[in-house]
Amino acid sequence: MSLWSRIGNVFRGDKVNREIQEEFEAHMEEAIAAGRDPQEARRAFGSLMQQRETSHTIRVAAWFENFLQDTAYGIRSMLRSKALTAVALLSLALGIGANTAIFTLLDAVLLRELPVKEPRKLVMLGGEQWLGISDAYAITALYSYPFYREFQKQNSVFSDTAAIFSLTNYVHGFIGSETSSVPMKVQLVSGTYFSTLGVEATMGRTLTNADDNSEGNHPVAVISDAWWKRALGNKPAVLGHTLKLGNTVFTIVGIAPEEFFGTSVGEAPDIWVPLSMIQSVPPHYRGYTENFSESLWIIGRMKPGVTQEQARANADVLFRQILLSFTDRKPTQRELVDLNNTHMRLTPMATGISYLRRQFSQPLKLLMGIVALVLLIACTNIANLLLARATARARELAVRQALGARRGRIIRQLLTESLILALAGGALGIAFAMGASRLLLRMVSDGPETVPLHVGLNATVLLFTLAITITTALLFGTIPAFRATRLQLTETLKEGRGMVKGGTRNLLARTMVVLQVALSLMLVVGAGLFLRSLINLTNVDTGFNRENVLRMEIDESSVGYKEDEHRLMALLREIEDKVSTLPGVRAVSFSSFVFHEGSWNGWVTVPGMPVSYDVNVKHNMIGSGYFAAMQIPLVAGRLFGPQDTANAPHVAVISEHMAKTLFPAGLPIGKSYRMGGANSPLVQVVGIVKDVKFDTLDEGPETLDYVPYTQHPQYLGDFSVRYTGNFQGVADAVQKTIHSIDRRLPIIDVTTLDEQVARSVTDQRVVAQLSIFFGLLAVFLSCIGIYGLMSYIVSQRTNEIGIRMALGAPQSNVRWLVLREIAIMVFIGIAIGVPATLAGGQLVSHMLFGLKDKDPLSIALAVCVLLVVGLIAGYFPARRASRVDPMVALRYE
Amino acid sequence: MAKSKTDSLQGSLDLLVLKILSRRPRLHGYAIMAAIADISAEVLRAEEGSLYPALYRMEEAGWIRAEWIKKENNRRARIYELTAAGKKQLGAEESRWAAISTAINRVLKEA
Repeated sequence: MSLWSRIGNVFRGDKVNREIQEEFEAHMEEAIAAGRDPQEARRAFGSLMQQRETSHTIRVAAWFENFLQDTAYGIRSMLRSKALTAVALLSLALGIGANTAIFTLLDAVLLRELPVKEPRKLVMLGGEQWLGISDAYAITALYSYPFYREFQKQNSVFSDTAAIFSLTNYVHGFIGSETSSVPMKVQLVSGTYFSTLGVEATMGRTLTNADDNSEGNHPVAVISDAWWKRALGNKPAVLGHTLKLGNTVFTIVGIAPEEFFGTSVGEAPDIWVPLSMIQSVPPHYRGYTENFSESLWIIGRMKPGVTQEQARANADVLFRQILLSFTDRKPTQRELVDLNNTHMRLTPMATGISYLRRQFSQPLKLLMGIVALVLLIACTNIANLLLARATARARELAVRQALGARRGRIIRQLLTESLILALAGGALGIAFAMGASRLLLRMVSDGPETVPLHVGLNATVLLFTLAITITTALLFGTIPAFRATRLQLTETLKEGRGMVKGGTRNLLARTMVVLQVALSLMLVVGAGLFLRSLINLTNVDTGFNRENVLRMEIDESSVGYKEDEHRLMALLREIEDKVSTLPGVRAVSFSSFVFHEGSWNGWVTVPGMPVSYDVNVKHNMIGSGYFAAMQIPLVAGRLFGPQDTANAPHVAVISEHMAKTLFPAGLPIGKSYRMGGANSPLVQVVGIVKDVKFDTLDEGPETLDYVPYTQHPQYLGDFSVRYTGNFQGVADAVQKTIHSIDRRLPIIDVTTLDEQVARSVTDQRVVAQLSIFFGLLAVFLSCIGIYGLMSYIVSQRTNEIGIRMALGAPQSNVRWLVLREIAIMVFIGIAIGVPATLAGGQLVSHMLFGLKDKDPLSIALAVCVLLVVGLIAGYFPARRASRVDPMVALRYE
Repeated sequence: MAKSKTDSLQGSLDLLVLKILSRRPRLHGYAIMAAIADISAEVLRAEEGSLYPALYRMEEAGWIRAEWIKKENNRRARIYELTAAGKKQLGAEESRWAAISTAINRVLKEA
């Protein structure tokens, strides 16, 4: 019978039954007519019910019927032991939920393909992803706009090419004629961007090549669906509406599809604007026509039939050809060598570009491993509970086998029960994961804004959850099912709950508890390592005083200030002056960077010294109050003062490490250097300050220099205020003061320097927090495991304990009898866990700061935790055992 | 459909039913049962509990075909007849039976 008609029969079951019934009735009629005794004839049929069932089994998909039957039976039997079911469901929900939550993030960050046409045909030029603007010669990570145009024209391997500005413009723009600004993330792209990706507008049009063929006169914008809904309230007639970015009014020409979030995972721009408008969008970057202002990523769609290697070879040739055709810059000897040694690489674009990926892929994979272990522990736990229950149900199962149920049938029933349990746990787990993955996303977001990632349910995630659910069911269900059905029938039927037969009886269950202890130990040691690593990181001396500093970002570029105008400098000065007179304010300063905000860097030229091209000096433009606000101590020379005006000789303060690295022996004060090559500004060293951390807490001493912003006018976003007293009070007063100078100035991300520093270790903190959480969960699950097993053993041995006590064994003796068993299991678990931990530690050693993976303290701590917790978990069953009343125990059966 | 041959009686029941249907097509279940009893002079009796499952099984196997017919009292009856596959199966069953009974007889005589 075909599967199809089997399934069909299940649904036709009723009709089939009716027909059988009818046939029987006809049969009975004949029989009675033939003179048979109706009573006897009916009996000859056997029970009509049974008859029907037999016939039915023949007809319908037996497996499906049985499954439904097993399901109903399983649910009934689960409801009978509510406590066990609750514990099992809870551990499964947590285990599966945690796995799903981490996987959801892993999927969003690492695995999911861009929602564009044939994403696998897309590649990006270059092997690594930089963000920024560079003037270096012969780099493959960033390209200039003229290069992009040449490449587009000359290549023969891509059907479409597009350029993406590597930085996202964080603009405070105005919707229509509104007077208060809203934050907008603007992505500058070439006109071919949408057509290369194969993305069509859901309303209006996308950008076209015509929007990008001359600079400055195509003020059009495509907006994201999410932003349309969020900022424009889903207004249907939005096409033709205007947005004011800086001084330029842009017209909305289209809305991108809902699922389209751009090409950078975790970025999600609100607005796409053609690159031709680069100078109009704050902060008014330049470079549309400059051959060596490299700031773009170039992506291409490979022509049908072109392999990635062919594409690479073509791009490699063009790379050299185009660069050499730019004759406005004569490459130095060194740059020509660089050009020769640089080889084009292509990066697949199917999953998009992502700095998130670099940052999170390791922590996420680690967490995935941790939650997998937790789930494994949960599985062993449930396996043990089921094993214990199966033993309790031994008689039930034996009776069923004696009545003729085949072993396979009973195994199937037990597995079905496990599957139901797992599916229910999985369903709860998904509910749990939906909340958890959002929380997780918030936790890994290191700024005030949550990383825009879609972490909802999708087919991949559901498939993953289903797969692990079924795997768990098999993991925890198989052994108990096979064990439970491997019975000596007569033995079991005869046996009461009498004597314990031999010590190997619970060997399997004990092994699982040992395994749990070993796994928990690994997780607890891991938690200890990451916690200690995080503590080490937070205790790092940053070189500046991170306490009592208020910091905020001020966006001058969005409200009309021009970088080269005197007005901007006057604004900065006025804000500094006015804020510093506020009560509770000790020192204030603008700066281009504070901590963990990226950098402006490059090599410098010290006259009389060979140029160290590989020493990257990180430059910081600051106000004269910066060192006071940050409390960075002066080592030699002087700090900046009112004398360092725009027209005065240009000066710099450098870090101790820079003084040591780049200058000849002796004090560098008074010496000059160029901030770059021969044409870059010449500055004179006037002071040396202590080294500070600039980007991360685990970096070594950096070569840093500081120059006064008065001599290098540009937008400075960071504003730092050293204060005393109440943070909120000062923060409010500072913002009020700034708005009294210019009420349009957007102020964002008002927080403390301490918080800013803490954000830089977000990954490490998340890993530490989650590994502690999961470590504790693992220990908790193991406790349940130990407690469950020991309770079971004690109840099994009630008889024996009764006899011992009747014979005069003291309570303490009995207690010890039980505790000893636990101690043995925990010790074996630890004995297995410690070497396993040492071996596994290598995997995480590079993620630790200030300690080795073989950290005796963490291991000792974990061992103590497990011993204590194990004994506590075992104490209750032990106490129960010692309180057994001999008479009751002996009459037990 | 798997042909389970857990007991040999079932095997011979198939044979009897197929044989009877080959001689007298279009019988309902009761008639088949009565025919077995009649012809065997009440020695062999097919219980309803075995007969109907056997009929359904053979129907699934495609050896026999069932059909509802209207009876005069406006009730329906389900009648069975042999299919081509059933005829083949009957041949196979007959020769199997012959082989077995010959073998048994030989044992009885010569043991």
